[in-house]
Amino acid sequence: MDQNRYAELFLTESRDNLSAINHSLLELERTPDATAPVGALFRAVHTVKGMSATMGYTAVAELSHELENLLDEVRRGARRVTPTLMDLLFQSADALEQAIELAVAGRDAGASGLPILSRLRALASASSSDAASDSVALEPPPGSGVLVRVEQDADTPMRGVRAFLAVERARSIGDVAGVSPSLEALQGERFGTTFLIRLDTDLADEEIARTIMAAGGVQRVLVDRGGGFSSSTESTPPPQSDATAMQAAFAAEAAQPRQHRYVRIDLQRLDVLLNLIGELVITRGRLQQLAASLADSALDETVTQASRLITDLQDGIMSSRMVPAWQIFDRFPRLVRDAARSVGKQVSLEIEGQDVELDRSVLDEIGDPIVHLLRNAIDHGLEMPDERVAAGKPSAGRLSLTAARDRSAIVIRVTDDGRGIDRERVLARARELGLDEASRGDLSDEDVLRLISRPGFSTARTVSALSGRGVGIDVVSSRIRALGGTVEIRSVQGEGTQVTVRLPVTLAIVRALLARVAGETYAIPMTHVNETVHLDEGARRTVKGREVFVLRDEVLPLVYLRERVRLPGRDGNGGQVVVIEVAERRAGLVVDELTGQQEIVIKPYDTVLGGVSLFSGATILGDGVPSLILDVSSLL
Amino acid sequence: MSHTVLICDDAIFMRTMVGDILTQAGFEIVGEAETGLQAVEKYQQLRPDLVTMDIVMPDMGGIDAVREITKLDPRARILMCSAMGQQALVVEAIQAGAKDFVVKPFQPSRVLEAVQRVLGG
Repeated sequence: MDQNRYAELFLTESRDNLSAINHSLLELERTPDATAPVGALFRAVHTVKGMSATMGYTAVAELSHELENLLDEVRRGARRVTPTLMDLLFQSADALEQAIELAVAGRDAGASGLPILSRLRALASASSSDAASDSVALEPPPGSGVLVRVEQDADTPMRGVRAFLAVERARSIGDVAGVSPSLEALQGERFGTTFLIRLDTDLADEEIARTIMAAGGVQRVLVDRGGGFSSSTESTPPPQSDATAMQAAFAAEAAQPRQHRYVRIDLQRLDVLLNLIGELVITRGRLQQLAASLADSALDETVTQASRLITDLQDGIMSSRMVPAWQIFDRFPRLVRDAARSVGKQVSLEIEGQDVELDRSVLDEIGDPIVHLLRNAIDHGLEMPDERVAAGKPSAGRLSLTAARDRSAIVIRVTDDGRGIDRERVLARARELGLDEASRGDLSDEDVLRLISRPGFSTARTVSALSGRGVGIDVVSSRIRALGGTVEIRSVQGEGTQVTVRLPVTLAIVRALLARVAGETYAIPMTHVNETVHLDEGARRTVKGREVFVLRDEVLPLVYLRERVRLPGRDGNGGQVVVIEVAERRAGLVVDELTGQQEIVIKPYDTVLGGVSLFSGATILGDGVPSLILDVSSLL
Repeated sequence: MSHTVLICDDAIFMRTMVGDILTQAGFEIVGEAETGLQAVEKYQQLRPDLVTMDIVMPDMGGIDAVREITKLDPRARILMCSAMGQQALVVEAIQAGAKDFVVKPFQPSRVLEAVQRVLGG
């Protein structure tokens, strides 16, 4: 058997089943009397058992076998669902997951000594102690007809059922007056390897033997017509020869391909495709520039057509990389449950938008930040049950996780109905850290919330095993910003906190506005660009020492890109203002000129300087010149 | 003509494995079903020479599917695929009309022996 080929399938399918197991466990915990979750659990565990036994992963097979026995008792109502049992089941699910990963990694034996196995056995074994005994005497059953003695292969699986089949076969050719040992004993496999059938039939000994042999697993059939077992038929070897003959005869037909609707593709191959299309997009930009300068209509037409094809190809490749959010959301219910239990809180989690699709590259990155947000909410946001009841809230905290598509962005929200963020505590912490803003008396609530996104900021009163040491919103915030996204926090004291994470759908190719300052071109991701206007001198004002710009009725602070990137020269008249927006904060970014929009391919970029960078990445423009991509949130 | 087979199992893994064993022995896999309901539907549609049937499946279990298929076609040849510890269920399946059974983990030779018995009987 080609182990590798099956191992991949086994792993994928086992993970699906593990996910189903965890879901069902959570459901069972909520509704211990329901039968559906037990049934689903049993099925999933059973599937894992069958697959692992076939793969020869004995540790996984044993563990799932014991788990299945226990679940069977629950299913039959022989065992009640108690918190202790739930804990054991959850631990078993974890152990099963470990055993599976180990087995696939080629370290199967490692899991067999797990203490969980003996705990499961200790629980389940009580009912199935009466083992098969060989000592049952073979009394020939009374009645008329011949006595048929059936001798089985000792290594046939489920000999009891084989014996039952043999009796069924005998019934098809005559009347079975009796069986020894009893049919119940046979089915329960409580016999040696031999049993007797009293059969009233007209058929010849050979016919009888042939019919019963066909039940399978039979070594020998002897027929006694009163004068002892005279006729004997030895089992022929398994019909391997038949199979071989068939194999040869139908080899041609066997070559027919089987149809599949899905293929599994190595992620690396998709990444290679993405890189190639990225290069192609850059080349297209160059080609378009060249064609524009040559002004040849036939060339223009061809370039336009090629360009359209490249766009289609790009869409195709991007969509093949899209995966539904549930692929990572799936593990959160279990995580939330465990996190809540470990701090003694009650939490009900709602998840929405599991089907929203996002690029694999984004999906891989947002798992950890979401885990942080959920843990933060449980650890710091939600109150203890008694505290909640005293505040007039239900004892179980509500936590929701939603994902939604908003134009070219993915919006992920984590909302809790906990105590909210304590303004005074944030300010006290800010003073402790020596942040200037803390001493200002006119800070709005928004300003205060923004403080907690600062690196190194954490207001946790105690360090718990959950949220770690000082790892809070600040860490999430810098991770998300590194991905070109934004984090927005809203909080009402006593009512709850909502964290909104906005991310580009893909991290690889984005649409950008190209702006020039002192001869250098910078790319501004379009997700953060609201509009562009001329810098009209009449609209420029100075308020409290800061330069602002009046756009319609709104006053926007002005940010001079030239100053920020420390390029020489002065900003004269006739500049352009790019209205940038991050999390509902807006500003006018002053640049010399705008040179158009372009799809840009984001190349990995390492910041040389520590601290907050002005740039989130780099790209290569159509003319082959490298350009830096502005991290818009750092400009605000 | 090679014999046609319908494979019923909720795990792709198992369907692939059974499919490979039978394809190599010259059988033609004409369909696969993931649930008991699908198994019955596909049986009606495809009328295969042989059905391999898992016992535990969502929607409708394998045993009920055997009952339904046998109602449709009393001569249907169904091979049960069972796991260790399911003796009682296998007996029930045979009473429902299944002709033989194999026990996981599958050994190709045992599967083919059972298939021969089902087709021969």
